[in-house]
Amino acid sequence: MSVRSPVFQALRLLSAALVLASGVARAEPYLAVQTGFKCVQCHVNPSGGGLRNSFGNVFAQTQLAAKRLGGDDAELWTGSVGRFISIGGNLRANASYAKIPDQQSTDEFAVEEARVYLDVAVIPGRLSVYLDERVAPGNSENREANVRFWLREGELYVKGGKMYLPFGWRLEDDTAFARQLSGINMQAPDNGVEIGLERGPWTAQLAVSNGTAGGPETDDGKMFTARVEHVQNAWRVGASATLNNSDAGDRTGAALFAGARWGKFSLLGEVDWFDDDGIGANGRQRMATLAEANWLWRQGHNFKATFEWFEPDTDVDEDEQTRTSLVYEWSPVQFLQARFGVRRFIGIPQSDPQNRTEAFLQLHGYF
Amino acid sequence: MASRRDPRRRQALRTGALVLGTLLAGCAGDGKGLDVNGRPPGESGAGLPPATGATFKAVQDNVLTPYCTGCHAGASAPLGLRLDAGNSYALLVNVNSVEVGSLKRVLPGDPGNSYLVQKIEGRASVGARMPLGGAALSQANIDLVRTWIAAGAPTAEGPGVVASKAFAVTSTIPAAGEVALADTGSVTLVFNAGVDAALAQSGTLELARVDGPAVALASIEVSAANPTVLTLRSAVALPAGDYLLTVRGTGATALADQAARRLDGDGDGQPGGDFSIGFSVAAQSPAAGVSSMSGERK
Repeated sequence: MSVRSPVFQALRLLSAALVLASGVARAEPYLAVQTGFKCVQCHVNPSGGGLRNSFGNVFAQTQLAAKRLGGDDAELWTGSVGRFISIGGNLRANASYAKIPDQQSTDEFAVEEARVYLDVAVIPGRLSVYLDERVAPGNSENREANVRFWLREGELYVKGGKMYLPFGWRLEDDTAFARQLSGINMQAPDNGVEIGLERGPWTAQLAVSNGTAGGPETDDGKMFTARVEHVQNAWRVGASATLNNSDAGDRTGAALFAGARWGKFSLLGEVDWFDDDGIGANGRQRMATLAEANWLWRQGHNFKATFEWFEPDTDVDEDEQTRTSLVYEWSPVQFLQARFGVRRFIGIPQSDPQNRTEAFLQLHGYF
Repeated sequence: MASRRDPRRRQALRTGALVLGTLLAGCAGDGKGLDVNGRPPGESGAGLPPATGATFKAVQDNVLTPYCTGCHAGASAPLGLRLDAGNSYALLVNVNSVEVGSLKRVLPGDPGNSYLVQKIEGRASVGARMPLGGAALSQANIDLVRTWIAAGAPTAEGPGVVASKAFAVTSTIPAAGEVALADTGSVTLVFNAGVDAALAQSGTLELARVDGPAVALASIEVSAANPTVLTLRSAVALPAGDYLLTVRGTGATALADQAARRLDGDGDGQPGGDFSIGFSVAAQSPAAGVSSMSGERK
């Protein structure tokens, strides 16, 4: 796209307005909280994650990085390849360290994952075909493949195929207690249908899926997942619920989540509760909580602290676990991020894995 | 303004760190009365200390429960793979991988071609190494899984294991002579071939108290994912006592495999004969008798 094109000029005006209005945004929940945006503001997928739309891409180039290489007049990447096709991707490469008590520490380099996204807007604004393919590590593996049709443009849509289900905060960290407990994260897509509403300050989704987290369907039970969120400029609150009817044992879950912005600080919280009939002789009720604080020190520099708590069985005392993380996120230039973090796990003393320490340095490139 | 070397400032920082550390640690359980996996003693299967030797109990207690069940449990387990103690064996052994359908998750006798091993060693052709996002398993734990698979991936050690070319029971949970935990409500049988599910009925399989009537069964289910695994579930948890499990290999109600071979129940290498084992159910788990503030079930 030319820097003189009308679209470019519109995007520049848009990004300039955002600078004045809200500061910085990125495709993560805490940045949505910082800006007061809905997920659909920056993502093709109305419930967030995956391919960024033109707005999201411009945002990434003008608002996220500490410095914009090429200066303000550099040509902007919007993800659009022609009028109908958009592409994008993510690659996360890690250097990590882990220490489990009484075991030798480990450290390694590894590609956490690389993904590419493709969205074909067959009827722009109304009908799209979307693909999310994990291309590393290992062979290519499809994560999302769905058709999205806006029954009312920008307001009401239906989506069918393989997709990530809507539940709680869509965290980047799939290993967070809350995302592990729910089983609904960026590693576990499911096949089904979703209907979503975007109206005023409200965003809501209802999905019906196999409930096998991408595995083959083995019974006639289905999973119902709902998420509703009320978004205001400085705060938001939401709730999710899920019921998975399965021969493996029914599963019921609920979550409350909220976020608020205060100057350069943004706070997120979530409480999850799940009841699994299929675990143990009598079923099991489990809980997880997340508290996250972000301090946007200056553009391109964010400090994140999280505290998580996990109750593996509400019928058993003294088995709780915690996970505390400190993460520094540095975006030196557009489309590049370096993350350094330390995570400390504390659990019952007799379990070594529950008392481990992890550290990581991650290089994240995206477009 | 206090300098960086100000002892009062250092003391304040030290105190703050101590208070913060105490608060964070205080939110975690102290683990009193629990086994290494945070369960009441005995519930994990092998009790304290964890089972040693390359048995399935050891694999469950040392690998699957502590490292895998954070995600792989319950109805929404990733790819339908539930690795908690009650489900793992039936969903692992001789079951095709979802990610690479040409491989078995566990191929008895062949750890190198078992997808489970490839995933924990980080050499699977699809996806990331497991445990996802965490440190690699220790070599000792990987060796434990490899050794168990190389030994044929037996369900349990001890009595009940039969080597036969005829259609036969290879193992049971509980095993013959085992004292099962209180509240046990199911019995699992593993065969050396897929069971004809149409024949898995109450007249063919019977669970009865040694000194009492037959147990009312809620279901007799052949695993759809792995038809070598059959599970009997009682309508209510089995009361404490001695039990006899019988599987008919003779008569009109004989059990047969999917190739219509009748059960070799008596282990003579020929079709026919009833299979039976005895086991007991404990009055209560060791933890249940402890009335301390911690570790008992609420």
